[in-house]
Formats: sequence, structure tokens, C-alpha cells
Amino acid sequence: MSGVVSAMTGPRRDPAVADRLSRRRRRMNRLVKGLCTGATLVGLVFLGLILGTLLWLGFGGLHWSVFTEATKPPGSHGGLLNAIVGSLIQTLIGTAVGTPVGIMVGTYLSEYAAGTRLGDAVRFVSDVLLSAPSILIGLFVYQVLVSPFGAFSGIAGGLALAVIVVPIVVRTTEDMLRLIPVELREAAVALGAPKWKSIVLVCYPAARDGIATGVLLAVARIAGETAPLLFTSLGNLNWSISLTRPMSSLPVTIYQYAGSAFEDWVQLAWVGALLITLGVLALNIVARVLLRPRR
Amino acid sequence: MTSTIEMSTVAVHSDAVLAEPRIRVRGLDFFYGANQALKSINVDFPDRQVTGMIGPSGCGKSTLLRVMNRMYDLYPGQRAVGEVLLDGANILAPGVDLNQLRSRIGMVFQKPTPFPMSIYENIAFGVNLHERLSKAQMDERVEWSLSRAALWDEVKDRLTASAMGLSGGQQQRLCIARTIAVRPEVILLDEPTSALDPISTLKIEELIDELKQDFTIVIVTHNMQQAARCADQVAFFYLGELVEVDTATQMFTAPKQRRTQEYITGRFG
Repeated sequence: MSGVVSAMTGPRRDPAVADRLSRRRRRMNRLVKGLCTGATLVGLVFLGLILGTLLWLGFGGLHWSVFTEATKPPGSHGGLLNAIVGSLIQTLIGTAVGTPVGIMVGTYLSEYAAGTRLGDAVRFVSDVLLSAPSILIGLFVYQVLVSPFGAFSGIAGGLALAVIVVPIVVRTTEDMLRLIPVELREAAVALGAPKWKSIVLVCYPAARDGIATGVLLAVARIAGETAPLLFTSLGNLNWSISLTRPMSSLPVTIYQYAGSAFEDWVQLAWVGALLITLGVLALNIVARVLLRPRR
Repeated sequence: MTSTIEMSTVAVHSDAVLAEPRIRVRGLDFFYGANQALKSINVDFPDRQVTGMIGPSGCGKSTLLRVMNRMYDLYPGQRAVGEVLLDGANILAPGVDLNQLRSRIGMVFQKPTPFPMSIYENIAFGVNLHERLSKAQMDERVEWSLSRAALWDEVKDRLTASAMGLSGGQQQRLCIARTIAVRPEVILLDEPTSALDPISTLKIEELIDELKQDFTIVIVTHNMQQAARCADQVAFFYLGELVEVDTATQMFTAPKQRRTQEYITGRFG
């Protein structure tokens, strides 16, 4: 009651002031909106230019031989088969090794180490790793797996990529598990489920889409990584799928070809760049679809 | 405070004599860290009858519920002192197998908590934790529990559909079905209808009445009418203390304590 009374008899507001304030707010709104739109357009223009150049120069060299022939000396109509297959193999190794480790660490952080010192330390280290320059990861794997064996190898490349996958998957797994309402865990426990069963049988299915999205984004990330492969799988201009020998990959091939003096190599570099971009785009779309809320 | 309380709106459903206790709580103190939430509680829960726990928010009634299946064990810093005797054995004693205890004392929560799997798997999840059943036996158990939870007719044609697609009321009945499928002896209900519409609430109340033939039931509720409709025994909690416990008839017609009377008639809480 008292609120109504004071509104009736209390201080009145000055319409002129209210009008002035309102106009100022609208002016500010227009200004900020204009700045935001401008910034968005700048970003979109560059993105459009990059994609346009890529499509323009990449599609020109797209030919069946790209997928059927390995890289060859300049002037002999080579393809990118060894680079494509090498990229697939190393990405597969990186994902297959990095994903389980990442999911387990993420589970540890969310379910077992919440609020503990070790948990905080692990999370911190993982976050540092997340933003570590990838060339450092390449150098690390070089020291551990290449230098001692005296050989660049596909397996070393794959493992370097796994090191990049781990912190990404750790973060998304932890975040997604934390989103699961405490009631759901308690409901599983209330039925007499031990903790590990409530995690594996209830929490994982509930967080499945989110975790899968994290893995796909990690795959998209490592598919385009060059630096970690330079010191590990090195690149290989010949056809080779041996894990213990140097292995070709799209990013490294692009790196080598794009800077070369041969026109057909430069052309193939553009094709490779287009292939990576389309692959990553496809992965992002799949991730988007997975993350889309559904009933 | 000599006026007779306005009880005409509260129709007490049960005039049953209280049965032998199934659970006895003796001298129970409960702490959230340094904060004491329950103070020397003594109360009995009669076998195969419904006990309604009422009281204002934060009075400790849900806490007591969470002591009885040791849910509080999930959280370090929470501890209970005293005795909770199920068939004479103290469930607070160290060395009690918690998973087994929780198979004997089931719990249904305020918000429906279907697992992200099919309706059938939701039921089978709990059963599989404690029993090894053949496919046929499991089918039978699923049908039995869904029928007991008055949900079978609504879902029998879509048992493999996701439980997330059910309505709120159906989800809550699924949670009850999931709980009774484990064949517990006691069922704890923590405000099971507070998130539901009136029709679903009615269904669940009818269900509670039906289930007490087989199960000892403890229900926390903020709804006085619900306590009157469902409970044989009513316990009133206030600020961590058990103020009064008696048959529903006694509590709603002639409470002994002034605070009970004031709470029941809506003068505070």
C-alpha cells in the first residue's frame, strides 16, 4: 500500500528532463550500433576476401589427379594424394590418442578434483597448454620422439597433434559435465549407483553432444596445424604411409609449395588450402548441428 | 490464542492408527560445516504408512530426508550425529554399504530427473545396479513399475522413446516408477509435486495413497492440503527442531503446540 501512496503524492518527474535523457540515450544507441555494424562489416569483408581468393585460386587447380596422384617434381602434373592421406592418418592418430586422455582428465577435473589444489593446478596447466604456441609442441615432440630415434616419423606428427587435442577436449569435457544439474547425479546415486556408474551411464550420455562438439573442434584445429608437424613428421614428397618414416601432410605441403618458384606447385598449394578449409568448414557445420538444442 | 483454528478447508484423509515404526530417528544432529541444521531429532516413521513433513523453508525437513538415504555423504563438510535405525540397524554407522542402503530407501526429487535415455532404460538402469534379470524378467519389471506408477498406459507404445520427451508430470511418475522398480522398502519424496500442474499433482497423490500398501513413505511438502490428503502421520519442523509429530487427524484438528497451530493456519511460514 505504502508504495502506491508515495507514487501518488511523492516527487513528480520533470517531462523536459526525461525527454532530454531519452533523446541522449537514443543518440548513443545509434552511435554504438553504427560502430558495431561497422566492425562486423570490416571482419566480414576480410573473411570474404580470404574465402574468395581461396575459391578463385583453389578451384582453378582442382582436378581428379589431385586425389589420385602423389606429389611429383615440378612440371609433371602431380597431385596431393600423399598429403591428403598423410593428413588423415596424423589427424586420426592425434584424435584417437588425445580424445580419451582429454575426456578422462576433464572428468577428473569436474567429478573428482573440484575444489582441490591438484585439480586447480591441472586445470591451470591444461589452460596454459591450450594457448601454447604450437611450434613449441612440435619442438617438444622433436626432443622426445624424433631426436632420440634419429628419424622424423608420422607417429611423432600424430602425437604432436594429440598434445594439441588434449587441452581442448579437457576444457569442453569439464565444462559440459559441469553443466549437468546436480539433481541428475543425485538421482543416479539415490538409486544406488556407485559414482563411476553415474558418471559413465548418466553424465556422459547427458553431456555427449557437448563433448562430441569439443572433439570435432579439436579435429578442425589440428587438421590445419603446420608448426607441430615441421619438426615431427617433416613432410614427404613421395608416397608413404609408414608411421616410422617422414609423412606428408596438407599444411606442410602448402608451406613448402606456396613458397616455391614453380607455378604448378603454387597452384597445388592453393588447392590444398581449399581442401583444408572445406574440411574444417564441414566439421564446424557438423559440430553446429550436434550442438543444436533438440527435444 | 484460544480461538479454534479454521480447519474447515483442510480435509484430513486418514484417521488410521499409526503402525509399528519402520525407521526410528534418535538424537539426530546434522551439520552443514559449522552450521547446525537439525537439533536432536527423535521421530518414528510407521511401516507402510505415509509421514508428511511440513515446515517453513530452511527448517530442516529436506535435510532429514537426505540423512535417511545418506545423500549428504556426497558432500564433504556435511555430517550427521545420532542414530537412524532401519529395522533396528543404524544406517549412519561406518561401514554401511551405501549403494545397498539406497536400494532399500529410494528417493524422488522435487524436479523430475529423467536420465537422458529411453523410458525403458530409465527403469532398467536402477534395476541393473542390484539385480541380474533376463530380458523377459526385465520387461515384466518395467511393466510392473510403470503400472504401479500409473504411467504404463501412457507410455507402453513408446518405451524406446527418449524419456526427455515426456511431460513434467509423466517424467515425475517415471522417476517414481524408476524408484519402485528397484523394490525399496522406504520411499522418500522431496516435494515431488511442487514443480507440477494440479492434475499431475492429483495423480501423484493418488499414487502415493496406492503405494503405501507396499512401501513406507516419507514426503516433504509445503502444501498443507497435500499433507492432510496424503499423510497418516504429520511432523512439523521449525528452525531445525521437530516441534510436533502426531497423527494427521490430531495435527490438523488439535495440535498441541502453538507454533504448529500458527503454521498450519497460515499465520507464518
